[in-house]
Amino acid sequence: MRFLRTLLLPLVALASLAVARSSTGDSILVLLDPSLQRDNFSIFFGDLEKQGYKLTFRSPKETEPQIIKDDVAQFAHVIVFAPDTKSYASDITPQTLVSLLNKNTNLLLALSTKQTPLTSLASEFSLILPPPGTPLISHFPQRDTPATVIPVEPPRSNAVLSPNLAPVWFSGVPQALGLNPMLVPLLKAPAQSFASDADSDSGADALVEAAEKGGEGLWAGSQLSLVTGFQALNNGRATWVGGVDMFTDEFFNKEVAKGKPSGNRQFARDVTAWTFQESNVLRIDTVEHHRVNETLPRETYTINDRVTYTAYISKYNPELDLWEPYSGIKDMQLEFTMLDPHIRTALLPVPGEPGKYSVTFRVPDRHGVFKFVVDYKRKGSTYLESTTVVPVVPPRHDEYPRFLSAAWPYYVGAFSTSAAFVIFVALWLGGDERELKKNKGSKAE
Amino acid sequence: MPLAYALPSNLSPATVANTSSLLRIIALSLISGAAIASRLFAVINFESIIHEFDPWFNYRATRVLAEKGFYEFWNWFDPTAWYPLGRVVGGTIYPGLMATSGVIYNVLHALHLPVDIRNICVLLAPGFSALTAWSTYMFTKEMKDESAGLLAAAFIGIAPGYISRSVAGSYDNEAIAIFLLMFTFYCWIKALKTGSAFFGTLTALFYFYMVAAWGGYAFITNMIPLHALTLILMGRFSSRLYVAYSSWYAIGTLASMQVPFVGFQPVRTSEHMAALGVFGLLQIVAFAELVRTHVSSKHFQSILYGSVIVIGVLGALAFAGLTYKGWIAPWTGRFYSLWDTGYAKKYIPIIASVSEHQPTAWPSFFMDLQFLIFIFPAGVVLCFRELRDEHVFVIIYAVVASYFAGVMVRLMLTLTPVVCVAAAVAFSSLLDTYVDPVEPNVSNGAAPSAEADAAADSPASIPSTGSGATPTAPSKKAKKAVSADSSSSGLASGIVAAISPSGKGDKPRGIFGLDTRALVLVNALGMLLFFVLHCTYVTSSAYSSPSVVLASTNPDGSQHIIDDFREAYYWLRQNTPKDAVVMSWWDYGYQIAGMADRPTLVDNNTWNNTHIATVGKAMSSSEEVAYPILRKHDVDYVLVIFGGLIGYSGDDINKFLWMVRIAQGVWPDEIQEPNYFTPKGEYRIDDAAPPAMKNSLMYKMSYYRFADLFGGNQAVDRVRGQQVPKQGPTLDHLDEAFTSENWIVRIYQVKKEDPLGRDLKSANAFEQGKKRKKTKPLVRRKAVV
Repeated sequence: MRFLRTLLLPLVALASLAVARSSTGDSILVLLDPSLQRDNFSIFFGDLEKQGYKLTFRSPKETEPQIIKDDVAQFAHVIVFAPDTKSYASDITPQTLVSLLNKNTNLLLALSTKQTPLTSLASEFSLILPPPGTPLISHFPQRDTPATVIPVEPPRSNAVLSPNLAPVWFSGVPQALGLNPMLVPLLKAPAQSFASDADSDSGADALVEAAEKGGEGLWAGSQLSLVTGFQALNNGRATWVGGVDMFTDEFFNKEVAKGKPSGNRQFARDVTAWTFQESNVLRIDTVEHHRVNETLPRETYTINDRVTYTAYISKYNPELDLWEPYSGIKDMQLEFTMLDPHIRTALLPVPGEPGKYSVTFRVPDRHGVFKFVVDYKRKGSTYLESTTVVPVVPPRHDEYPRFLSAAWPYYVGAFSTSAAFVIFVALWLGGDERELKKNKGSKAE
Repeated sequence: MPLAYALPSNLSPATVANTSSLLRIIALSLISGAAIASRLFAVINFESIIHEFDPWFNYRATRVLAEKGFYEFWNWFDPTAWYPLGRVVGGTIYPGLMATSGVIYNVLHALHLPVDIRNICVLLAPGFSALTAWSTYMFTKEMKDESAGLLAAAFIGIAPGYISRSVAGSYDNEAIAIFLLMFTFYCWIKALKTGSAFFGTLTALFYFYMVAAWGGYAFITNMIPLHALTLILMGRFSSRLYVAYSSWYAIGTLASMQVPFVGFQPVRTSEHMAALGVFGLLQIVAFAELVRTHVSSKHFQSILYGSVIVIGVLGALAFAGLTYKGWIAPWTGRFYSLWDTGYAKKYIPIIASVSEHQPTAWPSFFMDLQFLIFIFPAGVVLCFRELRDEHVFVIIYAVVASYFAGVMVRLMLTLTPVVCVAAAVAFSSLLDTYVDPVEPNVSNGAAPSAEADAAADSPASIPSTGSGATPTAPSKKAKKAVSADSSSSGLASGIVAAISPSGKGDKPRGIFGLDTRALVLVNALGMLLFFVLHCTYVTSSAYSSPSVVLASTNPDGSQHIIDDFREAYYWLRQNTPKDAVVMSWWDYGYQIAGMADRPTLVDNNTWNNTHIATVGKAMSSSEEVAYPILRKHDVDYVLVIFGGLIGYSGDDINKFLWMVRIAQGVWPDEIQEPNYFTPKGEYRIDDAAPPAMKNSLMYKMSYYRFADLFGGNQAVDRVRGQQVPKQGPTLDHLDEAFTSENWIVRIYQVKKEDPLGRDLKSANAFEQGKKRKKTKPLVRRKAVV
């Protein structure tokens, strides 16, 4: 079956050649504020359409098309480019956006320095925004743009972004990150930058003051994030962008140095690819478990059985729109759990069999309802979770060893008593007879 | 058998014997019919349904046995009980009950009678009650005679003390255990009387059946050795005792070890040591007897003393050493609580929390046994008059069982048979005495004083000894009757002698005239009649409620059925995934498993105190503390019983303190009982309830949206009689999933973790549109370079 699939799917994929597809769907709703001209984002939207996405535009205040109809999300992805919009149509609230995410709809949200409903939503994602009206400012490196328009060096190695990305123009608010482990910072602020009141640029004093307090309450430095991904437990992805400007044609075409174009276009491509679940999307196809030397799973296992657990993992290939076996995970673990993990062992790829991860272990000497648990959560890639419940039972009445060396005293005791009884009976009966004879003899005398 | 009136002389003895045995058979079958019929109230008033809690498990186990066969049942590991620990059912139950039903089921099906296994389970207890009546008859027959046996059979057939555990639908171990108890005792008495190894083996076999059927077998395990020991101490050692006891002990112990749940307990636990000790003692005594026949008596004396002391010391040391080394398990908590009624409450709340482990209230003696309870001592005293070996047994049984019945309500069950036996002996003696038409010796009444001194010696002493009933009366009619008189009649007149002033026997003793007889007999028959009425009334009103289905009375007197339990359990069965784990207090575990067929965390087989305490902790702590516990145990639904709306007093809020206590036993730092009382020490659920109470999961689940039901009026909890706060509790981590018609059962669904990784409280606040507090970036004391 698997062979057949690997043969067939590339053929199907040929039809949609050179088009990257999302693993969850093509439809995108763009909530675009009318004040932002659509033409300003022509390259960005054009790139998305070239990827094969179907874009639907809607102003935040319109009511059509509906985002959620009959409790079903109508679009696979939603882009909210309405950073300054204070009031939305009634069907768009922070709550509906969260419920969209819960329905595995991906979100791309842009923030601005203004206080909007999105600002309060951001705090639900454990993002901590600076006070209103304080964009990110950096006076380094020296350049001819305003202090709020900053070239940001993308991280050297990141699972989401392409390598060797040129610096990215950014203008907007930074976000401090809370402790939520689901946050995936995609672009960090430069070390020299800080959030401050841009107009007066009097923040320097405040900065010095805060620095004296050890940086407390300071929106500054490289711990701030500018573009932050968020992957919810259901693997829905949301990306928060500090400023919508970085997706404009202007920033796309702006040079970071003489003759060196900015990395914005590629960055936007990478971010949307991640957000719309094209890249870094994994899944567990199937899991199998069986006793060693058997092939079919058992309903129950006996304590101390040797059991093989196998998981098949695929990675989504956006170019071919198909799932390919993936053996690239080196740090996955399998737990055999009843309340607590009784066994935790590495679940490594099987060499020569792509996508197959397997481990053989001995079931603990403890009966109960156990679970095979694979819980692989790494920043940036899909969470892999699999739970298989299997009862572990004590041996059946006929599965115990038949003869125990420790029980030899009892065997000997039982048999010797039996033998002694037989001898005793024989002697008793025999002895009686002789006596009788004697008696008879004496009587005869 | 005393013959009250002379039989016609033209009847052959065979005819008489046949007729009387026919009459006995008819009487016994009528008694059986009455015993079965009076247990059918529950089926008639409600329906053919399994009752209460434990029977639901037995029923479920029996179904497994019937469907999958004995070996599957033997190896049955139930992954749905005690989730996620699971339960090795085959090794943790007494399979006798299920095996019995399974055999009946298979026999009926082999006969092409397609009877549903449920009906077998429902009707097993009434069926066995008929057998109990028969075995009590056999037992009492050994004590006195057939007529006493019939009375005892009638008593046990309808005594509420036994009916309480054996109505139709009460499919519990006790249903067959009392029959086995009585029959084992009968076999033992028979073995002892005849010295027959056959009956000893029979005793062992039925003992094995009993071990396989009920944990109360320990009662037999200790009663028989106690009897044997008493006989030895009374100097009544005989080869009959030796044969009977040895054959019972050897075969019975080996057989009982075949039950997986019992295993090696008979040689390893203290409860069984008495039997082993007496067995050893019997061997020594028997050996001593043997030695005595070969050695002169003086030698023997010194040997005896020396050896008794040495063996006694050695035995005690060995026992202490083995206990100390852990080879013999020390007494269990349940056992201690038999001696010290306060023990369980202090150390093992889980045992004390069971209502049937509470000490007995005295009215329940009267309720369960009615007039038998005051005839019972008379019967025991009568046993002293004759004091054969079997009478010693009844006396010991009476004393021990009386004590236990006073300690624990459920042990009333073991007292009932001996009460019936003793009362039957007493009552039949009474009847024998008063039905017997023999007039006392008044023939010389004209000049009694002349003969008085001469006659005083013999007639007065005759009845008291009872054995040598040599008649001295000149009346021919009396002579005939008295010569036929057996010991029991003499016994009875003995009582009369004992009761009447013990002046010098110058007056003839006995019963004069028909009027005295009629007075007593009418009185006695009246007692019997009222006994029947009482039993019927108590059985129908108190002991025939299935407790799964409740009944109340409408204002017009008609019956109103409250079926909330089954409604809720069926809701679970129909609306939740098959593997959804349901958490509830352990009382309802078996019912959920039986009726809803869902995994439960804890159930009525309270083998794991920690697991129960975990549930208690989850119930008695706040949502935030409870939620991780629920998630760790994969709980999907939480079920609580709430009686506040209709006044069902057996609900979880009333049991709540036990949950707190049991949880406190394991986590004394986190759960403290005093926190659940007001500062004045009151248990309240109204506005004055302490915060620990108000925040507890149990309180919240019970009163969630309760005040809304009253539409703005003051909400009143009808069980506690307290006013519930108008602002009811809120729930962040649970969703109300189902509430039954009368709110008795409330089921909550446990929410999944928030997809955004927030705690559910703030997620809920966000859903309700509450603003979050502004936060600042996290403090990092060290500058990030």
